[in-house]
Parts: sequence; C-alpha cells; structure tokens
Amino acid sequence: MKALRFLDALLLREFVSTFFLAMRYFFAPKPTINYPFEKGPVSPRFRGEHALRRYPNGEERCIACKLCEAICPAQAITIEAGPRQNDGTRRTVRYDIDMVKCIYCGFCQEACPVDAIVEGPNFEFATETREELYFSKERLLANGDRWERELAANIALDAPYR
Amino acid sequence: MDWIFYALDYLFGAPILGLGTMVGFVWKALLLLVTLLVFTAYVLLADRKIWAAVQIRRGPNVVGAFGLFQSFADLLKFVFKEPVIPAGADKAVYLLAPLVTVLLALSAWAVVPVAEGWALADINVGILYIFAISSLGVYGIIMGGWASNSKYPFLGALRSAAQMVSYEVSIGFVIITVLLCVGSLNLTHIVLAQEQGGIAHMLGVPWLTFLNWYWLPLFPMFVIFFISALAETNRPPFDLPEAESELVAGFMVEYGSTPYMMFMLGEYVAIILMCALTTILFLGGWTAPIDLPPFNWIPGAVWFVLKLSLVFFMIAMVKAFVPRYRYDQLMRLGWKVFLPISLVMVIVVAAVLQLTGWGWHGGVA
Amino acid sequence: MAQLKVDGELIEVPDHFTLMQAAEAAGAEIPRFCYHERLSVAGNCRMCLVEVKGGPPKPQASCAMSVRDLRPGPNGEAPEMFTNTPMVKKAREGVMEFLLINHPLDCPICDQGGECDLQDQAMAYGVDTSRYWENKRAVENKHIGPLVKTIMNRCIHCTRCVRFTTEVAGVSELGLIGRGEDAEITSYLERSMTSELQGNVIDLCPVGALTSKPYAFQARPWELSKTESIDVMDAVGSNIRVDARGREVMRILPRIHEGINEEWISDKTRFVWDGLRTQRLDRPYVKKGAKLQATSWAEAFAAVADAVKSVEPSRIGAIAGDLAGVEEMYALKALMTAIGSSNIDARPAGSALDPKKGRGSYIFNPTIAGIEQADAILIIGANPRREAALVNARIRKAWRTGKVAVGLIGEAADLTYDYAHLGAGIDSLVDLAGGRGDFAEVFSKAQRPLVIVGEGAVTGASGKDVLALAAQIAKANGALSDEWTGFAVLHNAASRVGALDIGFVPGRGGLDTAGMVKAAGAGKLDVLFVLGADEIDMAGLGGTKVIYIGTHGDAGAHRADIILPAATYTEKSATYVNTEGRVQMTTRAVFAPGEAKEDWAILRALSAVLGHTLPFDSLNALRAKLYGDFPHLAQLDTIASGKPSDVSALANAAAPKKTYSLISPVGDFYLTNPIARASAVMAECSQLMSGLKQAAE
Repeated sequence: MKALRFLDALLLREFVSTFFLAMRYFFAPKPTINYPFEKGPVSPRFRGEHALRRYPNGEERCIACKLCEAICPAQAITIEAGPRQNDGTRRTVRYDIDMVKCIYCGFCQEACPVDAIVEGPNFEFATETREELYFSKERLLANGDRWERELAANIALDAPYR
Repeated sequence: MDWIFYALDYLFGAPILGLGTMVGFVWKALLLLVTLLVFTAYVLLADRKIWAAVQIRRGPNVVGAFGLFQSFADLLKFVFKEPVIPAGADKAVYLLAPLVTVLLALSAWAVVPVAEGWALADINVGILYIFAISSLGVYGIIMGGWASNSKYPFLGALRSAAQMVSYEVSIGFVIITVLLCVGSLNLTHIVLAQEQGGIAHMLGVPWLTFLNWYWLPLFPMFVIFFISALAETNRPPFDLPEAESELVAGFMVEYGSTPYMMFMLGEYVAIILMCALTTILFLGGWTAPIDLPPFNWIPGAVWFVLKLSLVFFMIAMVKAFVPRYRYDQLMRLGWKVFLPISLVMVIVVAAVLQLTGWGWHGGVA
Repeated sequence: MAQLKVDGELIEVPDHFTLMQAAEAAGAEIPRFCYHERLSVAGNCRMCLVEVKGGPPKPQASCAMSVRDLRPGPNGEAPEMFTNTPMVKKAREGVMEFLLINHPLDCPICDQGGECDLQDQAMAYGVDTSRYWENKRAVENKHIGPLVKTIMNRCIHCTRCVRFTTEVAGVSELGLIGRGEDAEITSYLERSMTSELQGNVIDLCPVGALTSKPYAFQARPWELSKTESIDVMDAVGSNIRVDARGREVMRILPRIHEGINEEWISDKTRFVWDGLRTQRLDRPYVKKGAKLQATSWAEAFAAVADAVKSVEPSRIGAIAGDLAGVEEMYALKALMTAIGSSNIDARPAGSALDPKKGRGSYIFNPTIAGIEQADAILIIGANPRREAALVNARIRKAWRTGKVAVGLIGEAADLTYDYAHLGAGIDSLVDLAGGRGDFAEVFSKAQRPLVIVGEGAVTGASGKDVLALAAQIAKANGALSDEWTGFAVLHNAASRVGALDIGFVPGRGGLDTAGMVKAAGAGKLDVLFVLGADEIDMAGLGGTKVIYIGTHGDAGAHRADIILPAATYTEKSATYVNTEGRVQMTTRAVFAPGEAKEDWAILRALSAVLGHTLPFDSLNALRAKLYGDFPHLAQLDTIASGKPSDVSALANAAAPKKTYSLISPVGDFYLTNPIARASAVMAECSQLMSGLKQAAE
C-alpha cells in the first residue's frame, strides 16, 4: 500500500487526473449570461418595478382604496385620495412609492382589488440619484403604459392560480 | 573623448548617431520592457480567463473583443485612482516597496535568452544573477508589510519571508542539479546543452529534441522546481501571504491605486520569469521539440514563448483546481519533503555524472 | 321581573326588556343593523333573529320581541332563547345573503370601508359566496345637502336615518318611499336637510350609504390617530374624538357621554375641522406703519414689551374670548395682576353675570341630563337650537314624552318642538313674574319647573333686570328647592363658565369689557391684550395698541398691532367648563401650525420679557397652582353644584324702566367663532341657511 501511495505521489496521479477533470470543465459550455446583451428568462410572477395600470379605455384603474398603503410592510407607499374634479369619482391625488424603502414583497399587488398596482418584469431601473427612486403617480402610470402588454400577459398567466 | 562616443554608441546605437553598427542597448532594453509589459497584460488576462473557464464562467469579456483590453482598462483605473497612504505608515518605505518589487522583477529579465543570442546581457553567471535578484524580491513584500503599520500586512509579510526563504533552498538545489549536468552558469549554455546532448542522442534519435531536455532525466527536480516556483511567487495554492480568508489580502491590504498595481505587476512579471526559467532549465529554451521541418523553420523565440505559455497555463490551472495549503503544510512540504529529496538528487546526479561521464562538455569545460 | 334562559343560562331581567336586551344582559352577542338604543324599534333588517322556546316556532326578531311575549313551559319552566343554534346561524346567513344581494361590492371605494357594520358582520355571520347572478339594483343618489353624501346603491333600508331625523333632530325631512325592490330613502323633493344635527346620520348609517361629504375619500380609518377630546364650538362641551392624520385633523366624531351629548354632536362640531387649516396665524406679526409684517417671536415680544413698559398699569386691559381655555385665562389674569392692572374681563359687553354672586347664579344648575326630569320649561331670550343644539335635542327628548310644557320669551323660532310663545320683550317676562297668562298657571303647577335664561338675555342694558326677573320666577314657582334647582343659564361660549369660575372679571376699580372698549375709544386705554376675543367692537378701540393672541385671521387679527399665534382646541390640552359647570379637558391631537405655540406658553414667555415672570414653567406646574386656587377644576367630568340660595339672592328685581326685546345673540348657527368663520363648509351651510344657495340651485 505504502509503495502504491509513493508511486501515486511520484507520478502525480491525483494531480494529473484533477488536471483532466479541470480541463473537462474548461471546455464545458458556460452558463454565464452575457447580461446587457443576453437576458435570462423572467417568471410571470417576477416582482420588479412597480406600475399603475389603466383600463383599455385609458381610465386609470386605481381607486384610492389605500389597501396597498395599509399592507405595505415597509410603509413605502403614500397615498392621498380625493374626489376627481370632473366626475367626483374616488381617485388618488398622490400616489408615491419610495422605491428605496420598497422590499419588493408583492403584498401591494396581492392587496389590490382592481389589479392597478402591479410589480412588473422590469428590473432595470437603476438611477444615479436617490431622488429619482421616489416614484410619483405620473412615473408609475407611465410605467404601466410602457409595460401594459407584459403586465396583462403575466396576470393572465397567473390567473388560474389566484 | 572617444569613450563617450563608444558609450553612446553602445547605449543608443546607429539610429541616433550613425556611428556604430549594432542596435543600441537602450533600444533593446526598451523593446524587451515593452514586449514584456504587454505580454504581462495578456498573461494577466489569460490567468483570469483560465480560472473562469475552469469554474464554467466566461471571465472578463466586456472591454474589447473577448475582454482583450481588460488589463489596460484596469491599468487606467488604477492609475487614475487616488493613492491613499495610511496615517501611521512609513511613507518613504511604503512607497518604495512596490517600486522595489517591480524593479527587481524586471531587472532579472536582463539575462534571459529569449532565443539564441537574444539576451540583453549574456553573462556567464546568468543563473546566479537571476537567483540573487529573485531572492531580493522578498524585500519588496517585507517592506510593504512593515511600512503599512497594520496587523494583517505585517503577518502576511512575515509569512511571505519565511515561505520564500524556505523554497529558495530547494530551488537552489534543483538549479545545482541542472548546473551539474550542464557544467556552466550561463543560461544560453544551459539551453545549448539540452540541444546538443541528452537522452535523444543516446537513443540515436537526435531529431527528437524534446527527449533531450532535462525534464525527462531530472523529472523529480522538474516537479519540485515547478512547485517551488509557485511558492516562490506566492501563487495559489501557496498564496498564504495574501490569504484573503485569514489576512484579508495580506501584505497588500493597505495598498491601493498605482502602488497596488505595481505590486501586481511585479508579481506577474516574477511569475513569467519563473515560467521562463522553467523553460530554460527543463524545457530546452528556444529549441524546437523536434528538429525536423516544419518544426525547425519556426523561429526559436516563438518556441520560447510557446513553452513559457504552456508553463504559465499549468500555473494558472493549478490555481484553479488545487486548494490552498495550510501554513504548516507549506512548511512541512518545503523542509521535510523537497529539501531531502533535492539533496539526495544532487548527490545522485553528481554520482551518476561522475561515474558515467555523461553531461555536456561544449561549454567552457 | 321576568325569568328566561339565554343559551341555557337562567337570568332575570326587567319586564320591559326586549329579547335583545336580555341577551345583552346575559352576555350573548346579537348582530343588528336597524336597531339602535336611542331610536325607536323598527325591526326591518331581520339580522337579530333568534330562536325561542315558548314563542312562535320560527326565528324571531329579538329587537322587537319583549321578554313578556314568551310563555313559560307547561310545568312553569322559564322560556328559552338561543343565539347560537343552527337555526339562528342559518337565519343570519340567509338574512345576510339577502342584504348583500343588492349591496354593491365597492368596499374599496367606500368611505365606510374599515369601519362598516355590514363589512364586519358579513365577515362574522355571512357566507363567503353569492348565489345571485342577476343584475343588482341601481338607485339614484340623492342630494340631501352639503354635509351628507349619499350613495344609495349601498342602502340596506334600516331606516335609522329616517328615525333619527324625525325623532331626535325633529325634522321630517328623510323618509322611505316605495316598497320591496323599489324602496328608497329620500328627502322627498331633493332638498337639503335643514337640521343642525344631520351629521349624526353618517354615524348612524350602518353601511356607506350616508357618508361625510367634506371628508369624502380623504382618509381611511386605519391611518387616523384618534384623540379623545372636548368640543368648544358651544358651551355644551360635547365629548368628541378627533381623528388626525399627520399634522391635520381629518374629521371629528362624537363620543358617548350620557350627561352631555349622549352620542350626538352638532354639525358645527363635526364639520368645523376644515376651519382648523385655513386662515391660520402661523407666525408672529407686528404692525409697521399701516401693515402687519411677519416677524420672529423675539421681535414680537420686544414689541409687546415696548408697548407695555412705559404705560401706567391702569391703562392696560385684557379681554378673553369665547374659545379660551381656563389655563391661559389663569395665566393672563396672573400676568395682569403682576403688571398691576385689574382691567380684565371674559364676558360679552354688559353682561350681568357676576361670579361674586355665587356659582349657582351663572351655571346650568339642573344639568343637561336633568332637563328630562323637568315638567315645565321656560326659555328666556335664547334660541337653544342655535345656541346649544344638543341642549335643544334634550329639551325635545323631554318634550316627546308628552309630559313637558315649554314656554318661550324671546324671538319666535322653529325649535323642533311645540312651545307657548309668551312674547318677545321684557314686558312678557314681567307679566309672567306677576303670574299673568296661561303659561304662568301651567308653570306654577309644575313639580319641577325649569327656567332657562339665555346668555344674550342677561347681556346689555336689560341684563340685570332679566336675570333678576328670571330668578324671581324660579323662586316664586318653587324651582329652588334642595333637590331641584330649576334655574339655568345657557351660555354661548365654551370659555365663559371657566372664566367666571376663576374670576376673570374686573377687579377692584377695574374696567369690564364695555368699559375697556369705551376707554379705548376715548384714548384712556393704551394697551389691550385680546386673548382670542373676536366678538368685541374692534372699530371702537381707537388708537389703543391691540395685542392679539389667537389662532385665526379674524376680526381681532385685522385690528391687531401685534399678533402672537396660538393653538386651537385640537392643538393643546386645555380645561373647559361647560354651561353646566362640568370640568372637562381637551387633548392635543395635532401640533399647532408653523411657529404657533400653546397660549399658556406664550403668556409665560411674554411674562419673562415683561419682567413679571409667572411662577410656572410647565403646564403641570400651572395646573398645580390653578388647582390650588380653584380645587373644583381638578375634578374632571364632575360638577361642583351651585347653591339655590345664590339664585334666590338674585331675585330682588325692581321693575324695569324700559321695554327691551330679548334677542338671541347667535344670529348664524354656523358662524359663531373664528374657527367656524374660517371653514368653507360652515360658510356653505350658512349661505344655505340664509337662503342664498337654495335659490341658486
């Protein structure tokens, strides 16, 4: 046995076998995604950047029920409500999400009775300043307009499980 | 006044003064320096790429095609960063340390023959010169670790001193065995000895040059030299002076920006030097592996670089697949395994040469 | 007493109890929508169904069935009722399903969401699915005024609002018309409600059909911080809950206090909150040239010091207004005493009320709850509906028993109950005192006659005479016995009784309100401190330097030379004594805006600048001193009763020389104080009341 171990050591058996093992991996296809140019798949349930959706006729969905504000564990949502000027319906005067506070738990979209606030598939919204991460209602509605196709598709995909 | 012209001629040669016939020493040195630094940049990239590949990653691939300009981007980054000198540091020594490291690493290259006659200084004690210079490399580390005036760098520096001193002993004995075979301290002679005599000649197939090379007859020495070279250059698995898991980053903790870059540069130049040394001592330097066309049409310098790259590839692979040694294991390996083996080998090789009369006799004799 | 078993537990309850009351006595919970303790029983929501043994074999509405309606068993066993059997559960689920058939699922946009009886009970007693797939009923929303918003789809026809308006508010302006699916609550002709208590239907409505219009969509119940406090809009001192979000008062709700407001509050109390935000003085001002300029506290104080220091103390005066708390008046009095002036007053100009004549002479002796024990009520020179809506509601409550005769001397007005109008002038009072007229006979026969004297009647030239005559009538008709003191002064301002209690009246040789105004007009008064008194004759103050400590940019601030911004009743903890003499304390719900400070703190800081540092550094220290001087103020929610002898001492009237008519000083219910005058809602109500708006619509 001792002789065998000596030979092992002398002929670098382990070293050589490890070398070949390493070479196998050396030539193995790389799972790395070349990120800005390639992107991985995103689940329909992915909780990314928030958006406020509209109905197909352009009417904003949010009815200022404040359930998202109430459930938000990070207290990132601030809503002020009031009757809208033209028709007196209940709308938000202010709908702010502090994306710095947000923990992306998705409770807001769970709580929303009208699927107005949703967390979309977008995760590329890094900014240079903190201020830009305090999302206003305009920003959130613009997000909704921009991502509506994906958002609607994701909600439809997830509908059977809700 | 003639000596001035001769000196200028020697230094700058024909292109400037139009006096002498040879290319000036300064131009040669500059050429070597630039080539070496560019080569280092790509070696560094290769190191990262190889390591990444074994870990099934892509490695740097953003700056330039395949990340080819990554090292230059890093260089710019380091240069434009603010150098921070710790409050308690010995400022002079602190700044001197990386300079020492990089200067020593570069100056050793003066005697390396890239091809036949392609050495800046073809001196007859070349191997001794390299040995001496690379031994001094430990000073850069010690100075850096001490001057930082901080715990981790100091511990890292102490480890590094012990480690480099330990492995220089076995490296010394390994070199002695080679020198015994060659009978000369001149690096060009060491290569020529592997070209003109050896196992291939004895077997009657002199065109199989690669069998001549000393890696075969001195195989244990070759392995010991390779491993010791890793330890000498603080490469994984012997990168204990850095040991980021225990010492954060060892003797370089307090360094940043250009001084840090110079440490890194010095380290990589030293690694390439060790690769070159391995090539010269055991892999026949610039000689083609098979002395037949088309192999012997290829210039020697290309063979030299190819062999050097192969050795570096092995060094990089070792980094990727061998786990780091514990400090006591490192010391045990150096003093209790390599030292006895190389001592015995010196005696055995000397005895064999004495009894058989083998060896190279083309040198100074 | 009747015996019955509730869920197997044998209890004994009075005979007149309903099954619901019996169940409550036994601790069993019964859900309900239409039933309300203070309203008549309607029995139309059917949510309170229970199972009974000893009565009909079907589920019974427990609110409408008396315990006497149940028969004992054959062997004399006590009748039984059950609140937790499968039959009851099924009945409740069925009722709830029916109620929810036409109730829209719009809780997210409903202001009642989160504090809704239907929501809560649907969670507790309902089922979680609906079998109803047909179209829901749609009902047009009704306009019933600027205060109450209607969303009639949500109505479950409990008729609480109808019963409240007819029974308590005394206006038959809401009703249920149509039957079955066509049933609708309506104001008949799309008219605004005219009641000053209409806001209470918002609280009564168990669903979101009637909600507050000014508060519409403003906040959710869970985001409001609730503070229990006291109202200061009138001298009743209704108990209220102030709901605030951040630094803003979002709404005001009643708290139950059986002795004062039961569970109602007037609209002025409920909807005045928007006046707390507008027209606020949020930083000190000093008049430079002809214009007020914003400045710092230090400069304002320096200006006050300049004005006061060079002036003889007798040429300095102080008048406290309608909303001043006891603490700040105490501090102001202490400051004036320290300066050396005795010119202080908190009464309207020419008031005959005098604290030296004893507490019984100026408080509402029989208490508000005591009105229900009276059997004849004489109202002199007051319009209780406008001056103290909840006292009026109490009188109506007493009147509805049919045992109380009410007489009024003063302006005729719709008081929501029938009364004998005895005349508008002081001569009618003299007649009554002389025992002439039908009502005099009724009054003299009464066991517990009650004379209510309005504050307006005892103010002015005839004030003394009216007070004396009223006391005389009370004394002559046996209203001043040991167990019944039937003499009540109905104050108009929250501060008044407190001021009289601490003697915030002219000292020896001091000028009263009228005297100070006159002296100021004549140039005999140099400096006048005005503690939120906006009701005095500002135009008649001449060149006097007016230092106004107050909250709103009202009459006082317009005339002022130096303005020191103070805190309103929701922004400070202050003691108020209501017209009964009941001591109550407000609690701070929000902080005062901008640089405004609490009044006592302003006076304390000012005293240091004037070189007469007051001996207290905190509100607690101030109160300790205050309670030392006036121990009864430390007893919160109690009344230190006045002596009947105080009243009989008043009754030494000489016959009045002139004939005055007795006019209530409260002309406009909605605009009695600076806060209400700053409120847009109150302004709209006032316009509506005066007929301007009605014509426009």
